[in-house]
Amino acid sequence: MAQIFPKKANDLVKVLAAAVVLGACGLGTMATGLWLSPFITQQDVAKQQVVPFSHLHHVKGLGIDCRYCHTTVETSSFAGIPPTETCMSCHSQIWTNAKMLEPVRASFKTQKPLEWLRVNDVPDFVYFNHSIHVNKGVGCVTCHGQVDEMALTHKGQTLRMGWCLQCHRAPEQFLRPPSEVFNMQWQPPADQSAKGLELVKNNHVKVEQLTNCSVCHR
Amino acid sequence: MDGLAEAIGFKKTRLPLIILCGGLTGACTAFGFQYWASAVYYPYNIGGRPFFSWPAFIPITFELTVLFASFAAVFGMILLNGLPKPYHPVFNSERFAKHATSDGFFLSVETSDPKFDMETTCALLSGLGATHVEAVAQ
Amino acid sequence: MSPHDTNVAALEPSIPLIAPGHTYTTISDKVAGIVVTEPQPKSWKFGILIGAIGVMILNTAVIYLFYKGIGIWGVNIPVGWGWAIINFVWWIGIGHAGTLISAILLLLNQQWRTSINRFAEAMTIFAVMCAGMFPILHLGRPWVFYFILPYPGTLTMWPNFRSPLLWDVFAVSTYATVSLLFWYVGLIPDFATLRDKARNKVGQWAYGFFALGWRGSARHWFRYETASLILAGLATPLVVSVHSIVSLDFSVGIIPGWHTTIFPPYFVAGAIYSGFAMVLTLTIPVRKIYALEDFITQRHLDVMAKVMLATGLIVGYGYIMEAFYAWYSANPYEKFMIYNRMTGPYWPAYWALVLCNIVTPQFLWIHWVRNNPIVLFIISIIVNIGMWLERYVIVVTSLHADFLPSSWGSSVSWRNLRPRKTSSWPRKKSMTRATSRSMRLRLFPWTVSRKRLGSRRPDFL
Repeated sequence: MAQIFPKKANDLVKVLAAAVVLGACGLGTMATGLWLSPFITQQDVAKQQVVPFSHLHHVKGLGIDCRYCHTTVETSSFAGIPPTETCMSCHSQIWTNAKMLEPVRASFKTQKPLEWLRVNDVPDFVYFNHSIHVNKGVGCVTCHGQVDEMALTHKGQTLRMGWCLQCHRAPEQFLRPPSEVFNMQWQPPADQSAKGLELVKNNHVKVEQLTNCSVCHR
Repeated sequence: MDGLAEAIGFKKTRLPLIILCGGLTGACTAFGFQYWASAVYYPYNIGGRPFFSWPAFIPITFELTVLFASFAAVFGMILLNGLPKPYHPVFNSERFAKHATSDGFFLSVETSDPKFDMETTCALLSGLGATHVEAVAQ
Repeated sequence: MSPHDTNVAALEPSIPLIAPGHTYTTISDKVAGIVVTEPQPKSWKFGILIGAIGVMILNTAVIYLFYKGIGIWGVNIPVGWGWAIINFVWWIGIGHAGTLISAILLLLNQQWRTSINRFAEAMTIFAVMCAGMFPILHLGRPWVFYFILPYPGTLTMWPNFRSPLLWDVFAVSTYATVSLLFWYVGLIPDFATLRDKARNKVGQWAYGFFALGWRGSARHWFRYETASLILAGLATPLVVSVHSIVSLDFSVGIIPGWHTTIFPPYFVAGAIYSGFAMVLTLTIPVRKIYALEDFITQRHLDVMAKVMLATGLIVGYGYIMEAFYAWYSANPYEKFMIYNRMTGPYWPAYWALVLCNIVTPQFLWIHWVRNNPIVLFIISIIVNIGMWLERYVIVVTSLHADFLPSSWGSSVSWRNLRPRKTSSWPRKKSMTRATSRSMRLRLFPWTVSRKRLGSRRPDFL
């Protein structure tokens, strides 16, 4: 018996080759899909926090400004997470017995801060500063999404480098007048590209430097 | 067997053309991509060099030319030869399997040949001094 | 005349590349027999054991490396490239001999290549695998090595195509792929032979799978020969380009001792030199163990030794030119570099390399040496060591003392396996003092420490 392979092996080989090629393509597509999905990016995925704090209620419902809690956003790299005292400035007066707020009161009594889980973060090798963005006319909504409609807080954007670069390459498409930075309802005007260029010029945004590596990786 | 191809008169194969195409594809892909990525899509300043600093793109262009041409050579050779073909009727012959790949010389005439006729062909081959003639089933 | 009794040696009586008395049948039986029929000799098992132990040591070392970081090699500022890069260049150089034997000698129609080419090609593939490992291990975060590949990622940017390090990625990966293809193409007809000689089902299936149904048709052979020849034509400039690009990793930098135009040819010659040394290191025992003296004859060893001698002389020319141009350029930094190499804290490495790479191969002028496998084996080992030292000298001595004495430092100790902070040497009473302290040789227990550079400082500085 000199014939090692059966006759159908000839066709089998072709099927196998096709399967390898298609399988590799399929695997690549699946991996890309997974990498872009919220499963990896955590975009639109709410985290379970110690207190189920609702931006929807506080911002949209009550009309509290972002800076009431995130006090250092205009002056510092970090926007600031409010201390328990900020919560208690209202909640010592209203909803004083609400069970939901028990951790807040406990934190106030023991002087141990609430442990919020960070939602928006960039890698350690990225230097990010809130104040420069806010002062040059990047709205809160541009990066954080419609926070005023989040019952539980989640990432509004992927915060990946490619996403950052969209604006760093063409800031005129995203900038708004400094007065509108904290306006959650602002919509770009029809002539945004013209207005945006004006904002770039007036705010002294050096577009040619914005994509230098060392702007963010210092 | 050295010189056999020349003796039979094989002169042309499309293989060199395929390899040339592979190499040119590699060169164009590499150079075009480097130009696009470095000068069009994201031009960044490296030590004050021009964005389209073509001499720096040559090494990768060369490497990909060789890579694509080599793939074209190997896969072109395999596919033009109709391989992989694990099953072939000649393997049905015991003598073929024993000697063909080490020390034998075989001549195979297929039934699809217009001049094929079982008896006359066998007679012809024997008459030419073959040591052994055998019919191989499909 | 039937091929069964063709006497191969008789075809070319003037060239005893194969011992007399062999025919196609005996050669096929012997060569294939090693693989399929004969039981593996004890020494094979012993070799595998040694190899397995080596791999285990490597694994342990790599795990420790991932746990602690590359500081365990003693790399730090200013000697930021060390162990891994030296090994990378050494291994990739070794790989070159395989391609040279299979491609260039095929183009030059050198018959003697056929006995050793497969073997050398296999060596190339393993050498390139070893080489490819080291730059990845050298990364601080090896798990993101793919950052350097141009893939469409969420960073929406591409690597810097002007960097020799990226050229290196392309050169080495292309080289690995083409070597593998070349090796495989060469193997297809041999897999067919093995398939037909295999005695059990598993062997038949396995060899048959890789043989792709090769049946040795004349038309197939014609295309096959065409493909092989063109592949050889492609691989020849490729092999030259790969080590040239590796040398550009250094020579594109502006460090004295690196920034030299002689690097590409000198690296390529060095690669072939070390590669042939490694082929000899491997051939001599293998030919003994498997009794292949009939096929890998004295003549093969003789020819390989001559290639080694020739490339060794080119490498020696490279060393001399480095020294000559350091003087002729009248550049104080270049002058200091070569002076520091010869007399500085790393002088033993430099002179050991001269001894291994320039002095030792001169024995190959002697016919008796070229034909004595044991002496040849010893010389090949010495050359391997010498070529490693060459890369050590290039990488470490060039980096440890460049333009500014304030940034001078040293490479680090094996004794305590702990990185030393060479970057933050305190400013002592004088810079010379601080430098001489930091430049104590720590890598090998050659006790040359406390040699003061100050007292030996040349007048041109």
